[in-house]
Amino acid sequence: MTLFHFFNCAILTFGPHAVYYSATPLSEYDTLRTSVKAGVVYLATALVKLVCLATFLQVSETEVFDPYQEALKAMIGFIDVAGLYYALAQLTHRNISQNHKFQAVGLGWAFADSVLHRLAPLWVGARGLEFTWDYVLQGLEANANLVFTISLAALGSLMWLRKNKPKTLIPIIYTCAVIIATMPSITSYLRKVMGWHFPKVVGFELLTSLVMAFISCQLFILCQRPSL
Amino acid sequence: MADEKKSKQRHRTMVLESMYPVLALMLILVACVELCDAATVVDVYRLIQYDISGVPFGSRFSSLNHHAASISFQRGADLSRSVLILPLRELDIGFVQEYISQKQSLGGLLILLPQTFRPGNVGGGNLISETEGFRKLLAQLEKILVHGNIPFPVYFAFENEETDAMLADVKKNDALGQQATATTGGYKLVISVSEPRKVASPTITNIQGWLPGSRAEGDSNQLPTIAVVASYDTFGAAPALSVGSDSNGSGVVALLEVARLFSILFSNPKTRGRYNLLFALTSGGPYNYEGTQKWLKSLDQRMRESIDYAICLNSVGSWDNELLVHVSKPPDNAYIKQIFEGFSNVAEDLGFQVALKHKKINISNLRVAWEHEQFSRLRVTAATLSELSTPPELLESAGSLSDTRQLMSEDAIIKGVKLVAESLARHIYGHQGKDIKIFADDSSLAVNPFYVRSWLDLLSQTPRVAPFLSKNEPLIMALKKELEDYTAEVSVQHESLDGSFTFYDSTKASLNIYQVASVTFDLLLLLVLGSYLIVLFSFLVITTRGLDDLISLFRRPPSRKVKMA
Repeated sequence: MTLFHFFNCAILTFGPHAVYYSATPLSEYDTLRTSVKAGVVYLATALVKLVCLATFLQVSETEVFDPYQEALKAMIGFIDVAGLYYALAQLTHRNISQNHKFQAVGLGWAFADSVLHRLAPLWVGARGLEFTWDYVLQGLEANANLVFTISLAALGSLMWLRKNKPKTLIPIIYTCAVIIATMPSITSYLRKVMGWHFPKVVGFELLTSLVMAFISCQLFILCQRPSL
Repeated sequence: MADEKKSKQRHRTMVLESMYPVLALMLILVACVELCDAATVVDVYRLIQYDISGVPFGSRFSSLNHHAASISFQRGADLSRSVLILPLRELDIGFVQEYISQKQSLGGLLILLPQTFRPGNVGGGNLISETEGFRKLLAQLEKILVHGNIPFPVYFAFENEETDAMLADVKKNDALGQQATATTGGYKLVISVSEPRKVASPTITNIQGWLPGSRAEGDSNQLPTIAVVASYDTFGAAPALSVGSDSNGSGVVALLEVARLFSILFSNPKTRGRYNLLFALTSGGPYNYEGTQKWLKSLDQRMRESIDYAICLNSVGSWDNELLVHVSKPPDNAYIKQIFEGFSNVAEDLGFQVALKHKKINISNLRVAWEHEQFSRLRVTAATLSELSTPPELLESAGSLSDTRQLMSEDAIIKGVKLVAESLARHIYGHQGKDIKIFADDSSLAVNPFYVRSWLDLLSQTPRVAPFLSKNEPLIMALKKELEDYTAEVSVQHESLDGSFTFYDSTKASLNIYQVASVTFDLLLLLVLGSYLIVLFSFLVITTRGLDDLISLFRRPPSRKVKMA
């Protein structure tokens, strides 16, 4: 029975990535290579992040929200943004439209993140006899994370790759990007200071991810218009 | 064309290559995953498993992996794949009796005992009346379980919040008529232990302490000896829980205190008696006093013949007003008369009664009900002091799960110690029939209640089923050291337990309680997830490529993309 549950949770965690790839035009333009490259960049970024975290952060035994430590963590979190920038701007992508590029990068990024952070706990935990909702929630969180990453990639491509965008939109783009980039700190704050439980946090993440996706979509469309 | 193929090939190898670390990671994880993530782990104690001359008794199995069920299931339901949880508080003894005698199949039995029966739990006095009922019930249950051949694992556990919560849940499920099986979820109880193995060459250890008397000058005759004997081991339905406070922890405590008192007297040359004292802590009591027999046979012939009489102490911890002196020689025998008169005089002075009980020995009967019978069989005068009025059957009244500290009365033990010590002293110093108190309460030779209490507490926390005690068990070492403090010469004798008894190990285990989801739930979840992915797919196709694309996808059913969804 437990393998069944593992299978279910794995579908929930990794299914949306596959669906996204096959349902959108990404599959038609064969952008898998870009996604894989983004995944590799993610791995390198994760390693750098890990080294930074180990160097600068103290290991706290208790689940206490320390503002200084959290700020530091958020700063280190921006390494992600740098990695994303590298994946979007520096990697050479063979004849791929900007429109697909950010999606492919975001997809690869989110998939690598899911594999790295969720596969191992899933394999160890969801196969156990004991039933908990945790792994289902974790799968939902992976979905939210996918939406966040693609939104961030979209905003990043607006920031770094598009030259002629409406001046009035620039502050909004940056604000949204900062909000998405600091999402881990926000959820950590909710969990530790507000005392929210995991289901509530995941619900919040899903909701904000949809809102952010909507906003970035609108921004993307608004930026697209003058260039048309 | 060829170029495209090549690029595809390269593409595929690259994907595969990127999968290798993931695969390696998974393999490593598979190798080191230990599935011990249960929400609750409870210590459980297995019912004893033993053979007498090859005839099997007790619980014959040990490992368990079944769903939990409670007593409120519908009668006649098949329980062969369920673990029945029986709290002692609601136990229907008739049901158990019937179930076991009919040899119905059962996945397992888990008996929940109230916390008061936990060894070492001193407990509050206000609960005594409540526990008295449970005590009787538990004794009955033990009798059924110990003397039955039970073809499923039986475990004892103590109630706690987690087991209570589980039981409440299971009961609710059962009351609704849905028995917890693989399809309805519920609780799964898992005990993973290896097959029980025979205890290889179980040993019984006897400890003997020798306190020599002083010979009168010019007297070359050997001094007579008085032996005080108690068996220290016990028996019970669960070897890891059998502490036998009364049987025979109380006898051991009394013996140690008597030894302590006489060591004070004998350490002073002026008060050293004209008798040797021999203290023996024997093992194998529940098995026809086998340790006593082996110890006696190994004694030096002259030493054995020098024994004037022996006093065996057995269950002296919970009596009120009357203690019994069990003998196997007729009461009008001169020696018996002398011993009994010694006891009854002292008892009269102390304000209680002793009664003489005679039981003839039947040599052809292998059952040895009292420890003194082993002495009598070798023609040594002996008597057993006990609160039990009837000779116990094999493996009965020899410790039990209900035989715990709360039932003990320190006063009873102290009275027993006074009785033995005073009558011995009167005999040794030749004051028979005189009303003198050598061990008066406020003298330096008074019985020390703290000493009695501390030893009683220790013994009431230490399981002492002989086959499961090693040669160097801390308890045996402690008893040896204690006797070394009070006597001049201590020797320890290891003997192997008679071959007709075979015991099996794995007496203690951990029970993992898992709350499991049912298959229907998993199917339902799969359905929900599948529809979620299909909706997501449709949504993405419509928003990025338009509705027509989606419809065209469905016009070609064997499409790869639909499958991927």
